[in-house]
Formats: sequence, structure tokens, C-alpha cells
Amino acid sequence: MALENKEMEEYLEVMYRRKQKGEKITTTGMAKELSVSPASVSEMFKKLEKKGFVKLTPYKGVVLTKKGEGAGKVVLRKHRLIEDFLMMFGLRKRNAHRNACALEHALSKESERAFEKATELAKEKNTMPLAELKAGQKGRIVYIQGGISVCRRIMELGLTKGTVVKVVRASRYGCPIELLVRGSEIAVGSGIAQKIYVEVSE
Amino acid sequence: MSEMTIALAGNPNVGKSVIFNQLTGEKQHVGNWPGKTVEKFEGRLDFLGRRIKITDLPGIYSLSAFSQEEEIARDFIKKQKPDVVIDVADAASLEQSLFLTLQLIELGANVVIALNMVDVAREKGREIDAKKLSKLIGVPVVPTIATHGKGMQQLMIESINAASCKRKTKKTFPKSVSKRYEYIHAIVKKCQRERAVGRTLTERLDDALLHGYSGYAFLAAILLLMFFLIFGLGGITSDYTTQLVEHFRQNIPQEISSHALFIFFWKAVVEGIIAGITIAIPYIVPFYIFLAILEASGYLPRIAFLTDGLMHKISLHGKAFIPMFLGYGCSVPACIGCRIMESEDQRFLTAFLATMVPCAARSVIILGVVGAFLGFEWAMGIYAFNLLIIFMLGLLVSKFVITKPVGLIMNMPSYKMPDIGAIIRHAFLQIKHYVAVAFPIIILSTFVINTLDFFGLLGYLSGFLSPVTVGLLGLPSIVGITLIVGFLRKELALVLLAAVLGTENFGEVLSPLQMVVFTLVSIFYIPCAATIATLAKEFGWKKALIVTVFQIFFAIALGAVALRVLPLLGLLY
Repeated sequence: MALENKEMEEYLEVMYRRKQKGEKITTTGMAKELSVSPASVSEMFKKLEKKGFVKLTPYKGVVLTKKGEGAGKVVLRKHRLIEDFLMMFGLRKRNAHRNACALEHALSKESERAFEKATELAKEKNTMPLAELKAGQKGRIVYIQGGISVCRRIMELGLTKGTVVKVVRASRYGCPIELLVRGSEIAVGSGIAQKIYVEVSE
Repeated sequence: MSEMTIALAGNPNVGKSVIFNQLTGEKQHVGNWPGKTVEKFEGRLDFLGRRIKITDLPGIYSLSAFSQEEEIARDFIKKQKPDVVIDVADAASLEQSLFLTLQLIELGANVVIALNMVDVAREKGREIDAKKLSKLIGVPVVPTIATHGKGMQQLMIESINAASCKRKTKKTFPKSVSKRYEYIHAIVKKCQRERAVGRTLTERLDDALLHGYSGYAFLAAILLLMFFLIFGLGGITSDYTTQLVEHFRQNIPQEISSHALFIFFWKAVVEGIIAGITIAIPYIVPFYIFLAILEASGYLPRIAFLTDGLMHKISLHGKAFIPMFLGYGCSVPACIGCRIMESEDQRFLTAFLATMVPCAARSVIILGVVGAFLGFEWAMGIYAFNLLIIFMLGLLVSKFVITKPVGLIMNMPSYKMPDIGAIIRHAFLQIKHYVAVAFPIIILSTFVINTLDFFGLLGYLSGFLSPVTVGLLGLPSIVGITLIVGFLRKELALVLLAAVLGTENFGEVLSPLQMVVFTLVSIFYIPCAATIATLAKEFGWKKALIVTVFQIFFAIALGAVALRVLPLLGLLY
């Protein structure tokens, strides 16, 4: 039962997203996006209709009902919330998306609120990748994403957690960013600057 | 008394090599670290009756052995146990420098700190109390300004003192990197006074030199100036040495010089040496000198900074631009120069692309064939097309070769007035190294070519190749010889082209289209035997073979396409 619910939620989320984008809900389109067979899609459509989430009209396709729309909206919101949260702490979009897809179905109302709060807090603290800082801005390093060797290389140049860095030259068009770290100027490639998260202080 | 050994350690760009030069002067030697592809500089000096051997370790930020350089430094200190390790610290970025210092002390090295560039630190408003620092960290500290030779005597005195009384100061420091930096920060706070200063010269220069528009304009201007100076100077020296050699040959008595054995010996052996001296050296020497000036002045990291965004597109980073630019001089040092890349994948990709940059010998073909008969703008067009192809190949090949791109992270040193004496010495050492690597192969190749020629095998080979030269590339069959020879020695291709065609006026025998095809094939297929040998030495025979075979096929395919497409575009006939 739980497994079926999870599947249903996934369907509702995808359908709701398609509707928002103004795309038509078709069996083949859904099959492709969820990587399942068209047969299982139409089977699921029937189940969803039974529960009153969708309306099936011959030759016209599938339309979400009010109830279906509401349910889809809730799942998508949870998805976005988790995705945002994970990306804020350095996960790449694809990885964050995949994890959000799995986690969204397990999130209770309470934990959803907890996630919301954590995200808000992080936003309040103005956490963002170093690459987004403007020239003259200062930030305190809170998190470095990446493998051991990359992290070590970054930290050995003095960019440790808690260090305040000042942007001397902001990153433009994929060029490196120039920082003042512990009294010396250090150039950091834009890729690495995306992985260093700072709390903006000025 | 036995020889005392000193190792020089320190971060990159802290003036380590300047100190090395100040201490050892002319008594230097360059080689490779055993089994490694990193250059090893050694030198000697006599001081207060002691004979001292100094080894310059590679510039590193830490000893964690993530890179070849770090491993070398670590192993040397651990296994060779030098009497003293002089740790060159940058007074203007003291905290980062002391990070390495702590690791050196931990490793049990007998450390003496050369607190270098105190003048730069002062300009930045920082005054460091060397005595206090010495007390806090537990090792001798000598303030120096290496570029002016200040503090060198004192540094040697302290080193000899340190060697004679081996202190047992093996300390341990906080384990984690963050804690360690906190520890360092506390020390620096106690011994460094800061006062507010205006913007430094480096900051003001960087406003222009790293600017989004003017920075690139300056970069282009500096590189073009270098390029024209090198080819201008190289051309003059090359002509002059050629005349000198010719003069020498004419003075050889007739009865000797007309002997068949002499002619063979002259062509097969002596001409190889002459070609090396008259063609390679005139271009390579100024190239090394200009590169050393860029490095010593502190502009090299700026080049890496400016080109990083572009290089990222092909999964490399800014530092890769330098060996690729070096490729315009000669592919051999370009391949060696790829050692500055941290990861093995990136090093290989950079070398692969750098070998396709037209070296001085190939520029001679471009300028001598296309430039002379089709016009300057066509020659420039070939250079631009070459860059475009290199970039596109980079895009394509990086998808297969690069598994994990490593980004750029480096210190931006202050600008400095380069010490010309040290630069010339450094360049001279590198030339010696270059001659040792490239000359035997140039001579051997010449020998092979002339032996083939002697037995009349070149004509036979070119006939064998005619399906490619005539069928695919639409060139006269005889031109095949120049392509075979070009495989071994690119700079001979033009001379030989004139010889086989019987004229130096290529316009009479080749159509403009044929000239473009010939030039394209010549510049894209593997530079020469010396480059293949260098690739093999740096990356192993398998990779060298892959590059060679790929570039030969690629060049032929490109020539074949050009032959068919250019007329369709109505550009050439």
C-alpha cells in the first residue's frame, strides 16, 4: 500500500508540474518521464481515476481534478523544499533532484515545517556560494563541498571553515574570483568558488 | 669536513628560486628527480670554509603528498635528511607560509625560516617582529629581501649554526587543518603589526591588468609583442649562425669536402647539429628568457587567471595556457611544461593540444609557403584556424580523457622587478637540459633521412605513399618525401620542398589550394621525432603512439576535406 501511494504521489507530482508548464498529459509523455511502460501508465491512470484524482475522457486524454491538483501541489512543494535545502548545502541540481524524489514521499507535515525553518534560517544567514559575492563583500566560510583532495587543497591555502574572506575581484564570465584570505591574495577558479559556501557578513 | 646539505622549501612564488640563485650563483645543475618528471635544481657554494650543497625543492603549499611535487619534497626531507631545511616564507602572506613551516618541523626537519619579501609586506603595511616569531615557533628566523641580496649572509650563518647544533625541537601541532590555522593565526597576531596603507602598486596594476576588457587587451599585446620579438630575434640569429657555418664549410679544403664519405658524414651528422643550433636554439633561447621574465615579474599567474574561464570549457584550467603558448616556440619544452598541471589527465590533454600548436619550425612553413605566396592574411587565417581546431578537439577529447577536472586555486604574488642575471642563468640551465633531450634525436633523425636518401629509398617511399599524397590530398607525388622527412624533422620540410620541386618559387609548381593543403597537413601531424620521444618520456610509449597515430590520420583527413571544401566555398581553386 505504501509503495503504491509513493508511486501515485510521483504521478500526481509529474502531472501537476506538466499542467503548470502548460504541457498536455499523455500516456507516452508520462511513460517517458517516469521511465515505465505506457501500459503501466494507463493502468495507474485508472487507479487514480478510481480515487478521484484524475478524469479520463476518451480521445481527449487525462485531466487532473481539483483533488488531484491539490495533492500534486503538496508533493511538488515538498520536492522543491528538499531540493532547495540540499542545493543550499552544496549538492548539484541533478543529485539534489534525485534525492528529493525519494525523500518527498516520506516527509510528514512536521518534518516539512522543520525543513522550511532550516531553509529560512540558512537564507536569513545569507548563505551562498562564494562565486555569487560581489567585489568588496565579505563572507565567513561555512561549508566546503567536494572530495577529500579538493577540500584539502582549498583548506591548505587558508580557506578553512570560519575564515572570513573578502572578495577583491568578483567572478565574471567563468573567470576566477580573487580573494583576500588571511592577508594574501588568492585566485580561485569559478568551479571551486561554486563549492565554497559563505555566510555574507557585509 | 664533509659537505653540508641544505634543502630549500617554500610555497610557489615566494622567491625561492631567487634565493637559490643568490646563494649558488653559477654553480648550478639541473636534472630530473629520479623516476619523476619534475625538474631538480642543485647548486653548490663555499661559505666560511664550508662546502655546501643546496637542493631546490619544488614549490608547494603543503606536504600532504597529493601531488608529485609534494611527494618529492616529503621524500627528500624524510630520506635524504638534509642538515638544514631553509623554509622560504612570504612575509606578505605569512599565515599560508607558516602552514608549510609547521609541517616541516613536524617531519623532523632542521628548519631555518627565510622571512622573504619583507619589503613587499611593508608596502602592504605589515611589520613582522622576526625575533618574536622565532621565539614563538622555536626555529631561527632571518628577514630577507632576496631580489636585493639582503639577508643572504645572515641566512647562511644561521644555517651553519643550526647544522652544528641539531636541536631536538620535534613538536606536534593541532591535527586538523582548521585548528592548525587557528594556531598559526594566534602566532601571527602576536608578532605582526598592521597599519593602514593606501592601495599598493600591485593592486593598482591589477585594476588594469586583470580588468575584464583592458586585462585581455594587455595580455594580447604582451603575447603578440613576445611573439614578434622572438621571431624577429630568432630570424636574425638564425640567419647569422647559418652564414657563419656556411663560411666555415667553404674553408674546408676542396679535396676533403668533395670526398663522398665526407659529404655523407657532413649531411648525416654535422647538419643535424647545425640544424639544432641554427633553427632550434635561436627561437628557444629568447622563448625561455621571455617566459622567465613573465614568471619572475609575477605576471604568469595573471595569465592563468585571465585564461581560466576559456580553459575551463575544455576541462583544463588557466595554468594550461602557459605550456600551450610555449608550443609556439618548440613542442619539446611545451610537453615538459605541462608538468605544472596537477592531475595526470589534464597534463596529458594539455600536452596533446600543445603539440598541435605550430612551433617555430612549422611557423617557417606557414610563413614561407602560405604567407609568401598567398599573403599575410592567409597565414594569419591558418593560425586562427589552427587555434579553432585545437579548441574544438579540446572540447571533444576532454569528454573522453578527463575524468575529474581539477579547478584552479593559487596564490597571486605581488609584481616584482625581475633579476635579469638570475633569469639568464636559469634560461641557460634549461637550454642545457633541452639540448641534452632534443639534440640526440635531431641528429639521429638527420642520419636516418640521409641514409634513406643515400640508398635512394626516399623516392621509393614517396611512390608508396602516392595514394595518400596524390589521391587524397591532391599533391604532386614527390611532395610525399617532405611529409616523410617532416615526420622526423619539421624544419627540413620547407628546404626539402624546394629541393624536390626544383624551385623555391612554389607559386610556379603548386596551386594556392595545394599550398594550403600542404601547410595544413604539415602543421597538424605530429611535430617531429624529438616531440614523440618527449611524449614517450613524459607519458609512456603507449600514449605517445596514440597521439602520433591520431595526429597523422587527423592531419590527412583535414587536408583531404580542405581540398574538397575550399573550392566549393569559392575561396581557392
